Amino acid sequence: MASPVNQVGSNRVLDRNGPITDGWERLADDETVKPGAAVLVSFQRLKNEHNALFAEAAAVGVEVGGDVNLDELEPFLPRLGLIVVRFAFMRDGRPFSVGRLLRERFHYTRDLRAVGDFIPDQILFLLRCGFNSFEAGPDFSVDALKHGVAAYTVWYQRGVERNVTIAERRLGKENLGQESA
Amino acid sequence: MYIYDDFDHTIAKQRVAEFRDQVNRRIKGELTEEQFRPLRLMNGLYLQLHAYMLRIAVPYGTLSAAQMRKLAHIARVYDRGYGHFTTRQNIQYNWIKLEQVPDLMAELATVQLHGNQTSGNCVRNVTADHFSGVIDGEIEDPRIVSEAIRQWSTFHPEFSWLPRKFKIAVTGAEKDRAAVQWHDIGLHIVRDDAGEVGYAVYVGGGMGRIPVLATKVRGFLPKRELLSYLEAILRVYNRYGRRDNIHKARIKILVRDLGPEEFIRQVEEEWEASRHSGVNLPPEEEIRIARYFEPPAYEKIAVPVAAFEDAKKANRAFAQWISTNVHPHKTPGYAIVTISLKPIGGIPGDASAEQMEAVASLAERFSLAEIRVSHIQNLVLPHVRQADLFAVWQELGKIGFANANAGLVTDIIACPGLDYCSLANARSIPVAQRISERFADLDRQHKIGALQIKISGCINACGHHHAGHIGILGVDKAGQEFYQLTLGGAGDETASTGQLIGPGFSSDGIVDAVEKVIDAYLDLRQPNETFISAYRRVGPAPFKEKLYGVSR
Repeated sequence: MASPVNQVGSNRVLDRNGPITDGWERLADDETVKPGAAVLVSFQRLKNEHNALFAEAAAVGVEVGGDVNLDELEPFLPRLGLIVVRFAFMRDGRPFSVGRLLRERFHYTRDLRAVGDFIPDQILFLLRCGFNSFEAGPDFSVDALKHGVAAYTVWYQRGVERNVTIAERRLGKENLGQESA
Repeated sequence: MYIYDDFDHTIAKQRVAEFRDQVNRRIKGELTEEQFRPLRLMNGLYLQLHAYMLRIAVPYGTLSAAQMRKLAHIARVYDRGYGHFTTRQNIQYNWIKLEQVPDLMAELATVQLHGNQTSGNCVRNVTADHFSGVIDGEIEDPRIVSEAIRQWSTFHPEFSWLPRKFKIAVTGAEKDRAAVQWHDIGLHIVRDDAGEVGYAVYVGGGMGRIPVLATKVRGFLPKRELLSYLEAILRVYNRYGRRDNIHKARIKILVRDLGPEEFIRQVEEEWEASRHSGVNLPPEEEIRIARYFEPPAYEKIAVPVAAFEDAKKANRAFAQWISTNVHPHKTPGYAIVTISLKPIGGIPGDASAEQMEAVASLAERFSLAEIRVSHIQNLVLPHVRQADLFAVWQELGKIGFANANAGLVTDIIACPGLDYCSLANARSIPVAQRISERFADLDRQHKIGALQIKISGCINACGHHHAGHIGILGVDKAGQEFYQLTLGGAGDETASTGQLIGPGFSSDGIVDAVEKVIDAYLDLRQPNETFISAYRRVGPAPFKEKLYGVSR
């Protein structure tokens, strides 16, 4: 059975402030699409069935790994409502690059979500690489998430969120980064 | 020296608060050891054989006297009264208690020190020539760009979870004292034909079980574009470096597997797509950082300095120390002093709290309150008036640091080895101590001349044995410590990988073996020929013969 993403394996979906409700349903490759549903499918299924998926579902999302070939994904980007990037393990650093590339090079603007064994201490970095939502297990601490997101207020590098960098603040250009979201 | 502004201080304080929270969550069980491990490593905290070890960064090897005093204080209050300077210009403490680390970090932050990124799979503390800014013939002080790299790499959102550790080194003079070709990225500051300053960029050097000298990926990279180019290299590595096998995860393996040409093509393609994305340092920021590294106000001193020349003539031991431990300074009347942390029979790189404080005092009195840490595990006083050298030498003698052996056979690099390290297969320190004792005679050392012995207690090569003129690698052979001997390695601008000379030696036999190699060299050398030059001229055969007899 298709099931809401935020209930799969008792996972839940969060944003930077805590749990959110979420209408996406994760489909196994052999599950049929309920007309009008927002469905999350594998990249393989998207490649095989994109015409049918985009015709039947209200919205289509795709789950990829850190090894995703972004050139292959690019043709689908304008019609995708959600991209989920899976951490293969906690120290998997590839999703950080994938997020940044999707936002900065491919100009993907809709929901970008991380799933896997990341910990709250990594969320601020994920946000700075363009992720805006997170699918995590029941042990994922919302308190630690809130704490981690607020851990730093300034940074040396410009992130996808176009934060003003310390170098820019030193130049008195506090507003430089905020115009282009 | 660079001085933190409010932003740097904010980052430092927030890091301490974050780590305090992480330690609390670990103690309460909210973080598993598996989750906590990479977090503590990125703060420099290792779990070793007997206790936690804390590695504190000395960015590009520059310390103020006040920072050195704080390091002494840390040794006394949080450790057993001493610290260990490392081959990456850092300092390590070996007897640290986890619950005290947040307070320790908070103390460090008050003097602009930290353990950030001294371990973990991230961009490590950037290293640079320990004679930066004071040596003649330098195109630019490499600490300027090193500080820019320090800031750029600190808590980088994209590159904090790399496949493996990532080390960057910078050198600014023709002579390479930073071993740039042995680093994941090595930057050699150069000028192009038009006189513009930029970088020769080397990628994929590294030691470990597969020693590789870096590939030169660019002969000239314009200075202003450095950070975007570094990001392109790191992005290719972060996406395509291996994560399935820790022994194949360094960037050197990616360069090898793709082939240098394909690797360079991918980096250049990535760079073309991202070089204008605002990553490069604003010119004003580079100027701001550079201001901190402007030469101090030196006195105008007429040379030769008579008192100094007279003292050399009058005191042979002093003259001997001058010949090895004092380098010419770019400013007339000044000198660069290497403080050897290699007393005969001592532990290479160790300094007690009292010694650190004495060095801090000497720096305040005689070196504009500045100290350097070298990757050869020595300290440096970079701005000493020649007229003060005799006094400095006498003061160093009082704390056991007047060893006239910099660059000689007893100036040995050694990793902590099995005495401390959970990865080691064999002890390194006792071997260094016994070699040092064997060659204790200073006249004999000076007769042997320039020679670098480097000892690692396991294949990870923290003692840089691959780059030693004589390299020693400790291995475990059926439960016994055993030592392999390599010859002909080098870490300078003529970098080369040492070659295994033959079957290994027991712990007792290794010192005799080293002595035989040196005897062979003394027999065959030409006038003024150093060990490494002689080895490169004659090859391994005469050394093999001396060690193992005539091969039939």
